[in-house]
Amino acid sequence: MSFLGGARSSNPTGGLNNDKIEMAITELDTITDFFNRMVSSCHTKCVGTRYAEGDLNKGEMVCIDRCVAKYNEVQKKVGEKIQSRGAAASGGGFGL
Amino acid sequence: MNTQDAKSPVTPPRKSGIRAALEYTGIPPSWLDKRPRLPSRNWLIFLSVTSSITGLYIYDRRQCRRIKQEYIEKVKYLSEQTADHLSWPRKVTVYGAKWPGDEDYDQAIKYFRKYVKPILVAGAVDYDMVVGKRSGEVTRRIAEEIKARRRVDAGLDPSPSQEQLPPGYPFRPVSELRQKELEGGIVIIGRPTFKEYMAGLKRGWTESMEKVDEDERLAQELEMDGRFDEPEEPLEVGEVLSGTEKPSSSALPPSPVLSHLQYRLPSSQPKSASSSPIPESLNSPPAVIPVLPPILFVTFTNYIGFKQIPLMIWDFFNQRYKVRSGAEAGYRLVMNSTRPFNALEPSSQPLFSDVTTPPTSSSRGDLDFDKEAESYYRSSLSSIPDDIEKARKKYYDELVGKLATARALARGTREPTKEEIENPPSTEVELRADRMKKEKRWRGDLEGWNIVRPDKEVEWDERFRNALRVFDDPPDTDLPTVPTT
Repeated sequence: MSFLGGARSSNPTGGLNNDKIEMAITELDTITDFFNRMVSSCHTKCVGTRYAEGDLNKGEMVCIDRCVAKYNEVQKKVGEKIQSRGAAASGGGFGL
Repeated sequence: MNTQDAKSPVTPPRKSGIRAALEYTGIPPSWLDKRPRLPSRNWLIFLSVTSSITGLYIYDRRQCRRIKQEYIEKVKYLSEQTADHLSWPRKVTVYGAKWPGDEDYDQAIKYFRKYVKPILVAGAVDYDMVVGKRSGEVTRRIAEEIKARRRVDAGLDPSPSQEQLPPGYPFRPVSELRQKELEGGIVIIGRPTFKEYMAGLKRGWTESMEKVDEDERLAQELEMDGRFDEPEEPLEVGEVLSGTEKPSSSALPPSPVLSHLQYRLPSSQPKSASSSPIPESLNSPPAVIPVLPPILFVTFTNYIGFKQIPLMIWDFFNQRYKVRSGAEAGYRLVMNSTRPFNALEPSSQPLFSDVTTPPTSSSRGDLDFDKEAESYYRSSLSSIPDDIEKARKKYYDELVGKLATARALARGTREPTKEEIENPPSTEVELRADRMKKEKRWRGDLEGWNIVRPDKEVEWDERFRNALRVFDDPPDTDLPTVPTT
């Protein structure tokens, strides 16, 4: 569950190592997917469908702050859980 | 009549056109003859009971919604303003301690979420919730935070700097953070939380600010009482009993009885010597406490137990009162108008104690916040210290046997029995760890109970008088004129 740090460190080293590139791509996909989901769910939760003005108002700002924090935290917890389960299943192809 | 009937048998009297038409459609005539009348007595009872209960429930929930909506409308204009995205919203900290005697530790926070939070959300106030899972946890946390702050102020710890953060991350210096904190506030839910909070404040601003590793200290203390020492001869009951009283009577200073433990002392002594590297001038409690964030009191009573079931039922049908009190509290917080903390003469004032009535009966202003809630504590709580003591005694009585088994097995002085091979008894290391855990829990519980117990006054320090403020009803409760969109 290392988000950005992991991606950065695994990227530039191996020259044209296919495995590593694969891994980096998967990681990037995961992060992009995570980000998109987070944006869409927080958007539906917090930003009203009536666009009165271009800027966010204060209520929406607070809501988005909390939403993103919560999403991240849940993501982290679920990731930990999956990892510990994966470790318990001794890498037996258990994944969600 | 009879002659009329006989003369016109074809058309029965009083049969209107509609009636005749309906009869011919096949509807049984008995239905058409039905006269409305009251249902039977049992039906009446059933109907009136159910309808009044549903009626009460529906009425209450409608009122709840209305009240909540009313307050939301009042503060809504705040969240509809636009602000710079990089600005930080107002943020408050919510403390919810465990209600003594309730296993559900988050009742107070649940109350906050249900009744106060909607107003904060509507008023664009961010919040941070702190839950105390056991009594005393909130106190410890607050004390630690204050000590950390004092250490930073005294220059013992480095204050957070830009370098520790990832590049590009907006950095806010300590002074700005503190300013933000003051603009925010503290939400205190219920009497136990208030007691814990005040105890934490007092402890944090009074105790020395050196870092103490509680686990380490407890481990040392437990080591000293010699329960895991090798008995020269089999322990006698009297010896065990004298041992039980030891941890309370003698703490750190080694007693002559433990002289055979001397070889352990060198390891502990340098620690205690080096544990206060902070110069005395810095370490003394400050004479003036800087202004602290204002406090919002939220009254909260948690009904538990069999005897309070009628009250729970009453509450269920009268949630509107809770909604109103919660919403008012939230409104006060959002509107951000404060008054000084109003603490009347604390009971420890020797000057008046001989003149005035006993302090327990006199009012203490804000320190009496929600005091009546304490009468709802369970009476069985007062035996907590005894219960802990009993559990401790029982545990230590059993420990002797367990320890003997563990040692015998470890040294191979006897073969493990068949049963012991199947379920191996805990080793000495496990026993030690287990004891540490248990002692920590007992001590924590006792400490927590001593903070929240009803006969204990709320902690107070004269230095708080100018530092604390309380949220109050805004002077002008009219809605500010906002153009409705």
